[in-house]
Amino acid sequence: MAEYETFIGLEIHIQLLTETKIFCGCKSKFGDEPNSNVCPVCLGYPGVLPALNEEAVRLSYIVCRAMNCRLSENAMFERKNYFYPDLTKNYQITQFSNPFGRGGAFEYESGDEIKKINFHEIHLEEDAGKMIHQGGKSLCDYNRAGTCLLEIVTEPEFKTGQEAEDFLQAFRRTVRHLGVCDGNMEEGSLRCDANISINTPGMGLGRKVEVKNLNSSRFVKKALGYERKRQEKVISSGGIIVQETRLWDEDRSVTRSMRSKEQAHDYRYFPEPDLPPFRPDKNFFAMIENSLVELPLTRRQRLVECLKLTPDQADYICEEKALADFFEKTVGLGADPQLSVKWLMGNAAKELNRTGFQKADLGSEGCPLSAERLTELLMMLADNKIHGKIAAKTLTAVFDENKNPAAIIKENGWENAADDGDLKVIVQKILDENPKAVEQIKGGDEKPRGFIVGKVMAATKGTANPQSVQSLIMKLTS
Amino acid sequence: MEQDDLIITAAQAQLELSAEEEGRLAAAVTEMLDYFSKMSEVDVDNLAPTTHALVTDNALRTDTPNQNNNQKELVDRAPDNENNFIVIPNVL
Repeated sequence: MAEYETFIGLEIHIQLLTETKIFCGCKSKFGDEPNSNVCPVCLGYPGVLPALNEEAVRLSYIVCRAMNCRLSENAMFERKNYFYPDLTKNYQITQFSNPFGRGGAFEYESGDEIKKINFHEIHLEEDAGKMIHQGGKSLCDYNRAGTCLLEIVTEPEFKTGQEAEDFLQAFRRTVRHLGVCDGNMEEGSLRCDANISINTPGMGLGRKVEVKNLNSSRFVKKALGYERKRQEKVISSGGIIVQETRLWDEDRSVTRSMRSKEQAHDYRYFPEPDLPPFRPDKNFFAMIENSLVELPLTRRQRLVECLKLTPDQADYICEEKALADFFEKTVGLGADPQLSVKWLMGNAAKELNRTGFQKADLGSEGCPLSAERLTELLMMLADNKIHGKIAAKTLTAVFDENKNPAAIIKENGWENAADDGDLKVIVQKILDENPKAVEQIKGGDEKPRGFIVGKVMAATKGTANPQSVQSLIMKLTS
Repeated sequence: MEQDDLIITAAQAQLELSAEEEGRLAAAVTEMLDYFSKMSEVDVDNLAPTTHALVTDNALRTDTPNQNNNQKELVDRAPDNENNFIVIPNVL
């Protein structure tokens, strides 16, 4: 059924990581007691004045810059009028005529290709409160009302739900890297709506349907795939697409019409008289330039090219900025990149998991594993001072005892057993004690070798390098 | 004002009007609109809109929480509340 062209656009809302709300000093925090972070401003009491949060402006411009938008030199706020109790003022303060960012484009990976999406605009607005509907009443909690929400609107250029999902994941990674949003879709700090239309190729956009409730990046592909097929069926059978808003129903895997009275909305936007325009100067723009960081896609490519990571390894490392920073720090301190990435993906990940830390905690003060400590451990391993099993044991101890690896190894006498000379004596002694096994080995039977290795490891309290033991056994029995 | 426009405007303002009120308001609103239509006579062709009377500097606030302890009082002022929620008739 590829006889129609598909047009998909996304509207992404991200909650900015500010301490306070956009127009008042109330805390911006998820999960607090209902209405505990409210004041006359965000509850819309009469006679109050909004005052714009400078950090919200800074974070917004960082996103606009990272998305290569044209940055506004004269940004305005407008009132969007609507009556719904999720905001108490009967209007939402948002940006309409002069948003912070317009245009712009972003490259992301989809399959094996680098694709590009253009943006329509990026604007800052206040988030609405939350409601719980119970029987005859609705319960209103305004903790979220007035928190800083940045809306990113793409052009309708995605051709498939897969592209939209790949973009959303890359975008999420990017805003986390920029440190502007935690990207938590379950808690709603990153939310996504989509619009989709289909048409005969060459005829331009079709009549669009909005799809809401895409609370996970997985839903994006599923919902858009479903919605495209639904529209194809309607059009193929001679029907007409109704311009409407539909909700994704994850349980039934369908989109459902919201059946709201489809009156053309008239939000009667007008300039917010209580907020002057924001006119950034040269210093502000210079500060934004300085706040930029290398974006995940570029960093990933650099790690593959310069440090010879495999694409999978680079993906893993670049998923979290803290992890990527940590990894690069170990390399800077002298760790072998391959050894470092393998340990970060393996034992270090396991230890983080066991002790309840996140990858994002790496390098933070509370986390026992610092880049210095991992490098120390990996260099001892690379220099053959310890072997793999001991390194793993030491890493566990680093987390449990919060000490440097070298100190732990020294305290426990875990350095590789002696030099080769000492080890040779021990192996010879074990062989002498087990003449039967020696004979079997000499006769070509491999099985007793494991037994001998075990004896040597016991005699050296696990500090012998198993490979050295193996080669000594081979040498001494030939 | 046309009857249709009045009905749409009332719906957007969440107002329920009886037929009698619709008739009365249509006439009244028309009169008001006529009064303000005088403003359309002014020639504003080459003028930028004035949205704010006095704009000198950017007005920004630092991102620091302020302590206010009157949340309970603010919630109490709503007509109804329950477990810190403000309660209203179901709007779903």
